[in-house]
Amino acid sequence: MKNHNSMIFKKKGPLLLFLVPAFAFLAVYLFYPFVLNIWNSFQDIGGLGQAPAGMNDPWYKNYTDMATDPVMHTAILNTLLIMLCTILFQVGIALVLALMVDGIRVGNQFFRTVYFFPIIISATALGLMFNMVFLYDGGMVNELLHSMGLISKNIDWKDQSHWFFTMTAPVMWQYVGFYFVIIVTGLNNISPDIYEAAEIDGASAMQRIFRIKLPLLHNTLMTCLVLAITGALKVFDLPWTMFPNGIPLNASWLTGTYMYKQTLGGAQNVDYGSAISILIVVLGVVISQVANAIFKEKDY
Amino acid sequence: MKRKFALLLALVMCIGLLAACGGDSGSSAPASTGGDNPAPSDNPVELTVVTSYGQEDGNRGIYEESYKAWEAATGNTVHDSSSMSNEEWKAQVLSDFEAGSEPDVLFYFAFADGDPLVNGGKVVPIDEIRAEFPDYASNMDDARIPASTADGKKYVVPTTGIWEGLFCNNVVLAEAGVTAPTVDTTWDEFLEMCQKVKDAGYTPIAVSLASVPHYWFEFLIMNKGGFADHLQMPTESEAARTAWIEGLEGFRQLYELGYLPDNTLTNTDDEAVLMMAEDKAAFLIDGSWKVGWFKSNANSDNYSVTYVPGNSVRSADEIIGGASMGYMITRKAWDDPDKRAAAVSFIEHMTSDDVVSRMSANNLGTNALKNSPAITDFPDKISETAYQMATGAAKQSGAVQDLAAVDARNELFTNDIPQIAAGQMTAEEAVDKFIAAYNG
Repeated sequence: MKNHNSMIFKKKGPLLLFLVPAFAFLAVYLFYPFVLNIWNSFQDIGGLGQAPAGMNDPWYKNYTDMATDPVMHTAILNTLLIMLCTILFQVGIALVLALMVDGIRVGNQFFRTVYFFPIIISATALGLMFNMVFLYDGGMVNELLHSMGLISKNIDWKDQSHWFFTMTAPVMWQYVGFYFVIIVTGLNNISPDIYEAAEIDGASAMQRIFRIKLPLLHNTLMTCLVLAITGALKVFDLPWTMFPNGIPLNASWLTGTYMYKQTLGGAQNVDYGSAISILIVVLGVVISQVANAIFKEKDY
Repeated sequence: MKRKFALLLALVMCIGLLAACGGDSGSSAPASTGGDNPAPSDNPVELTVVTSYGQEDGNRGIYEESYKAWEAATGNTVHDSSSMSNEEWKAQVLSDFEAGSEPDVLFYFAFADGDPLVNGGKVVPIDEIRAEFPDYASNMDDARIPASTADGKKYVVPTTGIWEGLFCNNVVLAEAGVTAPTVDTTWDEFLEMCQKVKDAGYTPIAVSLASVPHYWFEFLIMNKGGFADHLQMPTESEAARTAWIEGLEGFRQLYELGYLPDNTLTNTDDEAVLMMAEDKAAFLIDGSWKVGWFKSNANSDNYSVTYVPGNSVRSADEIIGGASMGYMITRKAWDDPDKRAAAVSFIEHMTSDDVVSRMSANNLGTNALKNSPAITDFPDKISETAYQMATGAAKQSGAVQDLAAVDARNELFTNDIPQIAAGQMTAEEAVDKFIAAYNG
C-alpha cells in the first residue's frame, strides 16, 4: 500500500490530467472575462452584448467619471459601512455564538444546523421575505408594533431614516451562520490538552476564553475577516431585491447594485459597469491585503 | 459496500438528470382551441417565445390557453419565457438579441424600445413575410398596425391596443362624499376631490413614484402641452421642454399636497395598486391590462374607469392609447427553414379574430381587427365604464415615453421623478438631464 501511494506522487501525469481541465475552465470563464472587462472599461459600449462604438475619449474617462459621480461616492461609502457592519456584527455575533455553543455539551450539532440554515436559502428569496417583514402596510414589524401600542402610524422602514437598518439587518442575519461554522471548527481544532492544563491551573471560564480560545482563534478570525471584507464588496442580490434603484432617493446604492444598474438595470452603460467592477476587485484586494498586513497570521 | 452504494447513487442521479433534461412538461391541452384551427405540422419544431404576458397580466390566461391550443393542434412545442414588461425586462430582451440568444417569436414594442432590433436587422418586416405568406395578418386593419419609429416599416402584429385611464374606488369616494370624475371634471375640481378624500382619512392617489410614475407622467405632460404636441420630445421645441418642466412639477405639487401614499418614494407598484383593492385609496391611473387584475383581486363592481381630468389645454377625453406592441418574427427564426412556417402559424393563431376578440373583451382594450365585434354584455361595473371610456375617447395618442431610448427614460423614471417630488431636484434640471441623455 505504501509503495502504491509513493508511485502516485512520482507520476505527475495523472495530477496534470485533473488540474488542466479546472485551470482551462477558470481561464475561459474567469481570467479571460476579467481581462476583457478591463479592456471594456476603456471602450464606449451601450447595452450588454452591443459592439463597442470605439474607445472612450479620453480612454480612462470612466475612471475620472467615477471620481466625480456622487452616486458612486454614495455606493462606495455604503459598501464600506456594510463591510464594517459585516466585521462587527456578522463575525462578532458569530464569535459570541460559537463560544457559547462550544461551552455546551448537549445540542451542539443542533445549534450548528440552526445557525447555518439561513445560508442555504437564496438571497433573493430572503429579500422577498424581508420585504414582507418590513412591509409598510400590513408588514410583520409594523403590525407587531401596532399590537404592542408602540406606534399609531405605520413606519416606512425603507425611508431615508430607516433604510440602512432595514437593508443591513437581513444581510447580517443571513451570513452569521457561515462565520459561526468556521469559528466553531476553529474551536474544535484547539487541543483538549490545553483546556485540561488550564483547568488544573484553576483558570475561570472567562480566562479560558480570553487567554486560550481567542488567541488560538487568531488565524481563523483572520480568515473570517478576509472573507467578510470580500463578501461585503459582493453583496448584491438581497439589497437589490429590497432596495432596487437605490431607493430611497439614491441613498441605498452599493458598488454591486450600482454596477448592475449600469450593466443590466436599464442604464445601458456597460463600459461604466465594467469600470465599477474593476474598482470592486481593486477595493477587495487592497482592503484584504491591508487587513492581512495589520492582523498577520501567526504560527503556533 | 460503500463503493457499490456510491455507484448506485451516481447511477440514480444520472438517470434523474437525463429524465429532467429530456422531459416534456406533459401538460394537457385546454378544452378551448382558441382562434382558428392550425394544421398539424409535418415536422414538429420547438419555438422559443418571449412576450410581456407575464403572470400578472390580465390576459395571461387567454395567452396560455391559446398557445397550448396551438401546440395541441400542430404538434409543435412552445417554450414560453414571458414576463411582465418593465425596464429590466426590456433591457433583458435587448441583451438576449445582442448575445445571439434571441427567441423565435417576440411580443415587443414597435416604437423606440424596438428600434435597436429594427436597426440591427434582427426582426422581419410584415411585407417580407407577406411575400411568402400572403394571408399573414390579413385579418388586421393595416392602418392601425403601428409602424416602427426606426424605419417606418411595420413589423408587429398587435393583439389588443392599450388605453390609460383613471380607475376610481367608488367605496372610498362614497365615504368621502365625492362622486367619480366625469369627462367634464377639470383638474382643479379633481384636486378638490383629492382634498376631500384626504380629509376623510384616505389616500387620494395610489401611485409608486419609486417604480411606476409612468402613467401620471404622460397625463401631467399632456395637461401642460396639449394633445396635438404630446409626441414632441423636449429636444424638439422650447414649448415641449416647457410642457415637460411644468408637467413634472405636478409630481411635486401632488406630493406636497399629501395626495400620494406616505411611502410613495419607496413602495412598489403592487403595493400601490393593492391600496385600491383594500379600499385605502381613491384614484389610480393605469392601463387596460389592469381591468383583469381588479376582476381577480377585488369586487370589480366597486370600481369604475373614467377620463383623467383635463384643463383648458387638454380635453379629458383626449387619452393615451393605441397599439404599441405586437408579435414579431426574429430574423433568426425566419432564416431557419424548419421554423419559418411554424413561427408564421403561431402568430396567425395568436392574432386570430377569436384570440384577439377574447383578449379585447377581457381587458376592454381596443384592437386592430378588421371585424371587431362590439361588446354589449358587461360582467361588472369596471368593465362597462372602461369600455365606455375607451370607445368614447375623442382622440388617442401614443405615449411620449415610448419614443425615448431606455437609458434616457430609465434615469428619469427611476431616479429623477422621485427626487423632483421630494424637492431634491428641480424639474428643469431633470428635463435638461433627459435632453442630454436623449441626445447621447
